[in-house]
Amino acid sequence: MKSSRRNTRLESSSLVAVAGLIVLAIVLISLGAHWWLARPGTNPHVADQPATGIMTGAFMDFGDTEDDVTLEKIETFEQLTGKHHAIIASSSYWGEQTFPAANVALIARHGSIPLVFWSPWDRPYKEGHGPDKFSLTSIIGGIHDEYIDRWGDSAKAFGKTMVVSFGNEMNGSWFPWSGVFYGGDKTAPGGGFQGPETFKAAWRHVVDRVRARGATNVKWVLHVMDFSMPNDKWNLAAKYYPGADYVDWLGFSLYGAQFPSDESYPDFFSCFDWPYTELTQIDPVKPIMLCEWGVGEFPEKGNKGDWIRAAFQTMSDTAKYPRLKAAVFWHERWQNSANEVDESSKENAGKYSDLRVNSSPDSLHAYREGVAMPLFLGRPPRDP
Amino acid sequence: MPHKRVSSFVFLDPAGHRWPLFRRVVFWSAVLLGVAGVLFLAAVWIRPTLRLPAMVRELKGHLKAEALSAPTPDTKAVNWQRFYEQSRAVREGVTKIRSQLDSQASGKVRLGFYVDWDANAMASLREHSAELTHLAPEWLTLSGVHSNLTVEADAPLANYCAAHGLKTIPLLRNLVGDQWQPEAVETLARASAERQGKFASDLAVTLGNLHAAGVLIDFNELDPALASKFTAFFHTLADSLHAAKLELWLAVSMDDEFKTYEIDALAPFVDRFVALLFDEHTEGDLPGPVASQEWCEGWLSVIEEHGEPGQWIAALGAHSYDWNTTTRELDTISFRDAMTRASYAGVDTEGGFSVEAPTYNGRFEYSDDRGSHEVWFLDAISFFDQLRTVRQSNLGGVAVNRLGTEDPAIWTVLLRTKPADDEFIAQLAPLKADQTVTHVGRGEIVSVDLSHDDGVRKLMREESGMLRGEYLDAPTYPALYHQGAADKSKVGLTFDDGPDPVWTPRVLDILKERGVKATFFVVGRNAEAHPELLRRLIAEGHEIGNHSYTHGNLAGMPEWRQRLELGATERLIEAETGRRTTLFRPPYNADATPSDVAELSPLEFAQREMGYTVVLEKIDPQDWSRPGPEVILQRVKEQRRGGSIILLHDAGGDRSQTLQALPLILDWLAERGDSVVPMSELLNISHEEIMPLTQRDAQSGWRVVAATGFRSWRWFVETLWTFMLVATALVVVRSLLLAWLAWRQQRACRRRPAIAMENWPAVSVLIAAYNEGKIVAKTLRAALDSDYSGTLEVIIVDDGSTDGTAAECRTVAANDARLHVFSQPNSGKSAALRLALTEARSEIVVFLDADTLFERATIRKLVEELADPEMGAVAGNARVGNRHNFVTRCQSLEYICGFNLDRRAYTAWNCVTVVPGAISAFRRSALDEAGGFSHDTLAEDTDITLMLHKLRWRVGYAPDAVAWTEAPETWRALAKQRVRWAFGTMQCLWKHRDLTFNSEHPALGYFALPSAWFFHLILVAIVPLADAILLWSLVIGYASALWPYFATFLLLDLLLAALACGLDHVPLRRAWLIVPMRFAYRWLLAWVVWQSILRAVRGALVGWGKLERSGNVTESGSTESAALPK
Repeated sequence: MKSSRRNTRLESSSLVAVAGLIVLAIVLISLGAHWWLARPGTNPHVADQPATGIMTGAFMDFGDTEDDVTLEKIETFEQLTGKHHAIIASSSYWGEQTFPAANVALIARHGSIPLVFWSPWDRPYKEGHGPDKFSLTSIIGGIHDEYIDRWGDSAKAFGKTMVVSFGNEMNGSWFPWSGVFYGGDKTAPGGGFQGPETFKAAWRHVVDRVRARGATNVKWVLHVMDFSMPNDKWNLAAKYYPGADYVDWLGFSLYGAQFPSDESYPDFFSCFDWPYTELTQIDPVKPIMLCEWGVGEFPEKGNKGDWIRAAFQTMSDTAKYPRLKAAVFWHERWQNSANEVDESSKENAGKYSDLRVNSSPDSLHAYREGVAMPLFLGRPPRDP
Repeated sequence: MPHKRVSSFVFLDPAGHRWPLFRRVVFWSAVLLGVAGVLFLAAVWIRPTLRLPAMVRELKGHLKAEALSAPTPDTKAVNWQRFYEQSRAVREGVTKIRSQLDSQASGKVRLGFYVDWDANAMASLREHSAELTHLAPEWLTLSGVHSNLTVEADAPLANYCAAHGLKTIPLLRNLVGDQWQPEAVETLARASAERQGKFASDLAVTLGNLHAAGVLIDFNELDPALASKFTAFFHTLADSLHAAKLELWLAVSMDDEFKTYEIDALAPFVDRFVALLFDEHTEGDLPGPVASQEWCEGWLSVIEEHGEPGQWIAALGAHSYDWNTTTRELDTISFRDAMTRASYAGVDTEGGFSVEAPTYNGRFEYSDDRGSHEVWFLDAISFFDQLRTVRQSNLGGVAVNRLGTEDPAIWTVLLRTKPADDEFIAQLAPLKADQTVTHVGRGEIVSVDLSHDDGVRKLMREESGMLRGEYLDAPTYPALYHQGAADKSKVGLTFDDGPDPVWTPRVLDILKERGVKATFFVVGRNAEAHPELLRRLIAEGHEIGNHSYTHGNLAGMPEWRQRLELGATERLIEAETGRRTTLFRPPYNADATPSDVAELSPLEFAQREMGYTVVLEKIDPQDWSRPGPEVILQRVKEQRRGGSIILLHDAGGDRSQTLQALPLILDWLAERGDSVVPMSELLNISHEEIMPLTQRDAQSGWRVVAATGFRSWRWFVETLWTFMLVATALVVVRSLLLAWLAWRQQRACRRRPAIAMENWPAVSVLIAAYNEGKIVAKTLRAALDSDYSGTLEVIIVDDGSTDGTAAECRTVAANDARLHVFSQPNSGKSAALRLALTEARSEIVVFLDADTLFERATIRKLVEELADPEMGAVAGNARVGNRHNFVTRCQSLEYICGFNLDRRAYTAWNCVTVVPGAISAFRRSALDEAGGFSHDTLAEDTDITLMLHKLRWRVGYAPDAVAWTEAPETWRALAKQRVRWAFGTMQCLWKHRDLTFNSEHPALGYFALPSAWFFHLILVAIVPLADAILLWSLVIGYASALWPYFATFLLLDLLLAALACGLDHVPLRRAWLIVPMRFAYRWLLAWVVWQSILRAVRGALVGWGKLERSGNVTESGSTESAALPK
């Protein structure tokens, strides 16, 4: 009897021990798995796009070179708009020959995804002229490989998700990397139009090098202007598409009236619907980002508050625009040059373009109401 | 005979060695203590030899003159031309509407721009208010897209202006921090007429409340596209202001923003235009003249084309700019700041610098640790040249931008209306260095150089009438050299006023968890109380700075006191941490821009005499005022860009908000990308240089002395605290025990049935009388009137009285055979009692004082207790019969709650220590066994009681055996009585010291006798010391720590008194008397105890003789030796 009782006790205690071991193993395995998955940079396909909802982003008036990112500016803007922003946009100009390490780190610490406009141009960063020493051809020719590699190394060191817009609005005519400056509709040696083909070659060159440095945390957004300028067949967004392997996001800029000289106040829908559709046709699955959107305060031309309200209403139509996953507001006020020589823009001389969200009480109110909608996400989706 | 008796006295020192020995010991102890004190002071006084590298410590040598580079062409000088041509065109096509307002016709305006954050502005105003007609302070702000009007007025300034006939014309700006907010104005300009009207009337009301003469609008970054809207808005504003007799002035920038306003359309209703003739080159520009002559002249010619000339006021610059061409930072500086830079860099000695054509602005270059600098300055020469042009244009007045930054000589220029002659030029040449404090560099770690030195410049008159000048010797002003802001992402976290046992550890826990190193500026006094915290600070890698010893305002102290304050704290840090510190922060006035030389003197002293580096701060969220953790964080956010050292506090009150804010601040700084570093990293030197280990050197000895001093003092304080704690605990325990025992005894007595004795034993009542003629008959009658049913005899011995006591006795005896009267020559109370005892025939003897009245039941109650055959003696309940003044009332209460309560309680454990002579009953056999009364102590009743205990007799107490005794009625008599009691008690305690802690008599040995030692002698002796500490604590503010102890004592006293009164059936309200007794009566008792101790030590014959004799002669009552109150 005694021994059998002892056996029973033994059995029950070993049962408990086995169960305990199993529980411990489960806990350890899940902890380990969590640690494994949570390691930065292990998963090359981090889901930086939300399953539902649109990530809310903004460029927050970061100064003339668009890179004076400070926590104070971010907090002031978010306090003004009453919303944490999931994406914060800023620029990295090639003329500086740096990687914006402090900026992206700050934005990541703030809990947002940095969107970086990586623009290949040189000081004094004036629009409306042709290629400078950072021309697309010089990039393709490998002249700036050292900088690109260095930039890629820094991006890898940063380690967190960042979205990069290289050579944005290339289908326009104001930036020196635009197709118009590279032969435009001329036939390229390997077929296709020379302007877009040059751009694509440069894009692939840059992306290949950055990826070769191991910076898989960089997501690439092909960032066009809503309507091509010139709006010719050779200059359409699709012509600039370097291929599904080279692009993570498709994006575009959308602006209503920006200058005092603008004659009309185009509505948001007509600026949005066509470019969106155009992009969806380039690739069947890539998420779409509205990389820049904004409008000036010209009450006599149109009502900015209404324009913003319409913008949010349009973007909220998820049935119609299911692939829109991010929208980045352009919050900036600038004074147009006093020495305008171009006759068409002389009227702008010395006057301001106020694209700030708080250019008027109604504008601010409209934006606050819009981003307050749950559809507009204040935080990026968590990494798996 | 007396000699023989005296020689057997306890404490007698026949050889007389003890007293001199005692005096020698006391004397030498005092000398030793004095020497130690002096040595300690000396150790603290010695100045530490430590210094930081001269790089950090001294201003000299940082700045170097640089050769003047070729000036970049002044392209802005001709900017005005575009506007001039346009203006001319306008003028030719439009008929000008001339304003008819009176204000334009009135005299010339002289306006001063004013800021409230620069003390130099006030200093300048005080000196030159007579030269001004108007003052423009920065009082009003228009901000946010909702166009909020904020008023930050300065009432003292308004009063000052009113008193000095100055009109105030406050600035209304759209500036928040360093951000212009155009939307605040544009929204308003676009708003409805109603909204504008509302704003206009609000502004008029606000200005009226401020007693202002009008408003000076200074808006920036406005969109010229809205120019006509601004015109309409200003019209509305002007209408409203004019209706309230207020003026509308408008500041106009001399640049592209000139286009913002339609001056000609505004001219009819804007009272004044203020042309801002400065900032040709400013923030965002490359270095260039602040206001070149050509530029000023050009713009003056532009404004002449608009409005009335008399409508314009020319605001001339009086400030300067320092461009750091390496870091591209721009500092706005004063003329004096510029001169200090030139002087320290030696620009004047290396070729000099000048104000001359074409710009007629001053310029020089220098370099320092932070890069190359280009300074452009405006002075009296440029002011003269510009003013000359202004006067040629016949404008309506001049403004100075701004007060406090100007070359003091501009005031001479301003008063001058004639062209410059030689005499006038000579007047401007000397550069007098006054006491104004100047600043160089950036950062909050400063070196002070108070030296100042006059300079000189050479002025020359050109043919055109213009002046130019050459600086031969730049003046040097008292200067602060700022360092520690080299890396904008580094920020120092400092905590002042600790260490504090509650808050500092919590702060340290947070810092430790986050791996943050901070700097603690400790107050010596606090560090002294918590040296373990100093050691923890060092162990966890933080830096420590000196924050004085007492946190007094050093600026108000003489230098010797400052030296002690700093020296003591320094020595303490050395002693506890083995490290020294080179950092110092003055208590109060720690903001980084002190402007008063008086404020600087402690800083300079600490640096010059003690070798300290001074650490100030610019981020002060005022956590001490407890605004809430969120507000503390918000203030840090707002100030972070302007400074690199944060000030928080880890002591000085409830710091829970600081504690809550700290993680928020650290999170925010981390998110911002800042690294929080100790001072050494801000200065870019090693931690070891800031806080070097102490080393063997000439000062090692002094360090040991200082350390020993601090430790001894701490040991003393800690001992004192321990004693306080232990004493309190013992008092509480004893009080509760007494209360419980007394209450239990009372219950036991009540339950005991009255003794029905078959045969009441015979009783002899013994009385000794000396000069008691007045009362003795009463005493005898009361004793004889007893209800005692056994045989009673009363024996009275007259001890040679001289007042007819014997006769009184015999009169009573004649009527009562139970009374037997004896007489003896005067030979003392005990001799008298001894005689009485030989005559007594009963087994029970009752002792009674001649002035004490028995109640009828007294004898019966006493004898009842003696029914127990083991009972050797019984004490009666002596009560004060003469309660008619404060002294006797106090004694009455003392008898009730001190003596009687104790005795009641002691009975429970059979450890009554004294059966009082005034009323007591003895078993004759016990008395005889104890050998009768002895004479070697002054307290023979205590002596005999303790003897009975030794012989294993029980000693009882009969609370109902009441006798009314007569207490001393004056303080003097009371003191005399009590000295005798206290001395007698000490003698008995000493004589029977074998009973103390004697396990054969546990209750007596471990409770009653130690109680007597501790509560009745030691504690009573210490009362004055405890009271003194309490008073001192009131003075220095530590009362909160001590009050609980005193309150406990007092409350216990009160409760016990109430209980005793209750048990003795005395009105409870009498217990209140214990409160005044605590403060008056106790001091007397303390004096008594000390007196007794001294007598015991002295042990001399002379003391005995006198004491013995007085005891014999005036003895009037019992010796209540062991019952001194607690």
